[in-house]
Amino acid sequence: MDYPEHLKYSSEHEWVAVDGTRARIGITDFAQDALGDVVFVNLPTVGTTVASAATCAEVESTKSVSDIYAPVSGEIVEVNAALDDAPEKVNAEPYGEGWIFVVEMRDPSELDGLMDAAAYRRMVEEG
Amino acid sequence: MAASRREPWRLFDDLDRPLDAAAQMAVDLGMLESVAAGGTPALRCYRWCPPALTLGRFQPASDVDRVACARLGVDVVRRPTGGRALLHGADVTYAVALPEPVGAEASVDAVYRRLAEGLIVGLATLGVVAAVARHEGPAGAVCMATQQGADLRVGERKVCGSAQVRRHGVVLQHGSVLLDRLPFDETDLVAGEHDRDALRAATVTLAELGAPTDPAVVAGALVEGFAVALDVEFTSIPGAPLRSVATLDVDLDQRV
Repeated sequence: MDYPEHLKYSSEHEWVAVDGTRARIGITDFAQDALGDVVFVNLPTVGTTVASAATCAEVESTKSVSDIYAPVSGEIVEVNAALDDAPEKVNAEPYGEGWIFVVEMRDPSELDGLMDAAAYRRMVEEG
Repeated sequence: MAASRREPWRLFDDLDRPLDAAAQMAVDLGMLESVAAGGTPALRCYRWCPPALTLGRFQPASDVDRVACARLGVDVVRRPTGGRALLHGADVTYAVALPEPVGAEASVDAVYRRLAEGLIVGLATLGVVAAVARHEGPAGAVCMATQQGADLRVGERKVCGSAQVRRHGVVLQHGSVLLDRLPFDETDLVAGEHDRDALRAATVTLAELGAPTDPAVVAGALVEGFAVALDVEFTSIPGAPLRSVATLDVDLDQRV
């Protein structure tokens, strides 16, 4: 299981890559493994405002539909449209081409409430 | 020595509750929301009258032949769960809502496997030896034509198809156990060309297996199977709650 050091993590198994006031978000290696083969990603709409911990996307895998939550509040400014044709990228490269959306953060201090790689690994491994 | 305490679950007796297809989905979501609000896990079994074609949450509405459905008196509704089109009417449907497990038991497949134990034990009491299906890859437009790890098979033929949705920390899983066949099937109701013989060859019903087909008997067997395999104790409650949200998207172009 992969836990890149440079990312932040939510308890709902999303990762966050911070670039200034923007947060690129996807689901973790653990999450994609637990979901199984992803066959569809219901992406959020660019321009919508999301609140931290609110549902903002969904993934379908093995006839199971799972919510994806926003780890931080703000405005959706970009979505990974490539997933429309290739949702399997979420499995193949969860931290790379399988990213899901980008949020322009309203309050970057919310990042303080997320976990670093070591804490997230502990949460996953200790159940 | 003190007896171990079995986990309490609620059991909703909905087998004879006259609900249309949209209301059945509203009740399943109501059950999910009741568990999200702190209620104990819950099981209900129900039937579909009139028959209904259910679509997976993200299945294109264009997969439905609406004219054929209207002509044959088949209701159409979108499920909150994944998967593809499934015809109900000669089946018993079960729905389980339970808190999303954590750790190794959290995965989609792990929950399917855990609940499959209940279904397999229940079917065994009817003389049906079922097993978890092999994953055949992505499904086409018709659920029953393809096996996935969510499903149960007898021999190589699918007898039960299941699907999940995970919201608010709760897993809702529902599935259909085939009792018998209607005079028509999904190949009459799903747009495009579909092979009826292939669908029939890929599926098997309890009637064809010589097992009981009385819905009350089958539902009772499933309840017993879940009780034994999952080590839970059911408390019967008259009827499951409808979804607390007043409106339900029943337009196929919308999503539940």
